[in-house]
Amino acid sequence: MTWTCDQTEARLSDYLEGLLQGAERAEFEAHVHECAECGPLVESVRSLMSQMQAAEPLDVPPQLIRKILDQTLGPREHETFWQRLKNFAAGLATPRFAYGAASVMATLFILVSASGVSWRKPKLADLSPSTVMNNVSRGAHRSYAHAVKYVSDLRVVYEIQSRLRQDENQLQPVPEETAPKSNQNKPNSNDDHSRTQPKQQNRANELARQVEMLAAEFPVVMERSYR
Amino acid sequence: MEQDAQLVQRCLQGDGSAWEELVRRHTRRVYNVCYRFVGNRTEAEDISQEVFLRVYRTLASYRSAHGGFATWMTSVTRNLLIDHYRRTKRDRITDSLDDAMPVVETKESVARRPDEQALLGELSGQVQAGLTRLSPELREAVVLRDLQQLEYAEIQQVLGVPEGTVKSRINRGRIELARILQQMGVRPS
Repeated sequence: MTWTCDQTEARLSDYLEGLLQGAERAEFEAHVHECAECGPLVESVRSLMSQMQAAEPLDVPPQLIRKILDQTLGPREHETFWQRLKNFAAGLATPRFAYGAASVMATLFILVSASGVSWRKPKLADLSPSTVMNNVSRGAHRSYAHAVKYVSDLRVVYEIQSRLRQDENQLQPVPEETAPKSNQNKPNSNDDHSRTQPKQQNRANELARQVEMLAAEFPVVMERSYR
Repeated sequence: MEQDAQLVQRCLQGDGSAWEELVRRHTRRVYNVCYRFVGNRTEAEDISQEVFLRVYRTLASYRSAHGGFATWMTSVTRNLLIDHYRRTKRDRITDSLDDAMPVVETKESVARRPDEQALLGELSGQVQAGLTRLSPELREAVVLRDLQQLEYAEIQQVLGVPEGTVKSRINRGRIELARILQQMGVRPS
């Protein structure tokens, strides 16, 4: 049976996909080898198939998916606004943002408190620049005074304690030396005292002088104190 | 990854995000089938949108027992492509002119040599043009088999014809396409 061109065409895809076996395949190939029409046809179809099968799928055009969703899900605009807001808020729930927001809030709170605006009875007058300046300067002075007093208290206590501790063992109580002023009234005795007195006596003088110096600061602090 | 059938169920219960996932999964395939069939990007986009709109409206009629969701989508795509072809057949008054002059879709693909195009994975503009000259029955068979790489069984489901008919159409489509390209003066690479 001779293989015809019609048969070749009918079985062309089967041949190219490897579905022809044995005798059929041999007859097919024999015909193709001889036929001036079928030979080129088989080759061009083979080339075409491999070209098409090698072609990559096209990328989806941008916006197509969005258009499809808009068309199908319809009035999504309102939902997406709230969804967007929700997503935005959810995105803010990060530690970094939380810390930043907290510190900003704290700063604002401190500023507002310092400005002297009353939280219980807020008045618009409280926000005027002169009021704010007065409040701020008053607050600053008060804070400064407190700080100075606190530090001074600490210093005085510390100094007294340390000096007393230091000289406790060595010092012998000399009543007349606690009042250096009275000594100065007798001009001769001053020189004699400073030269002839033992070391402990000098130290006692030193201590007394320092206590007096520290005590002298009390009135200054008291002046500044608003309490 | 959630199965298509489960996503469909969620869609039918009103879950918009499930629909969005389905769209994202299947747009590429639908768009490619449309583009390979019509050879024109704008038309392919329009038809793709129509496909998804139709699927969205008739989602309740999908039965997973009748085959995969992707196959159902391809089937809807094919039906709309045929409808589109019939609608626009009346407008194609320049068919005789088209036969004389090869239609060039993309300048880029024509400028490149065939072997370069093959390397880049592009289908040559001439082959695409040749495809749009095939009759719709042969065209859809070749597109689904050689460009979308669907199995015979799936193509049979999409076209709703026996497997023998599917194979016959694919075969005739390939031969016809080779002859069209020969007429256009395209030499096989």
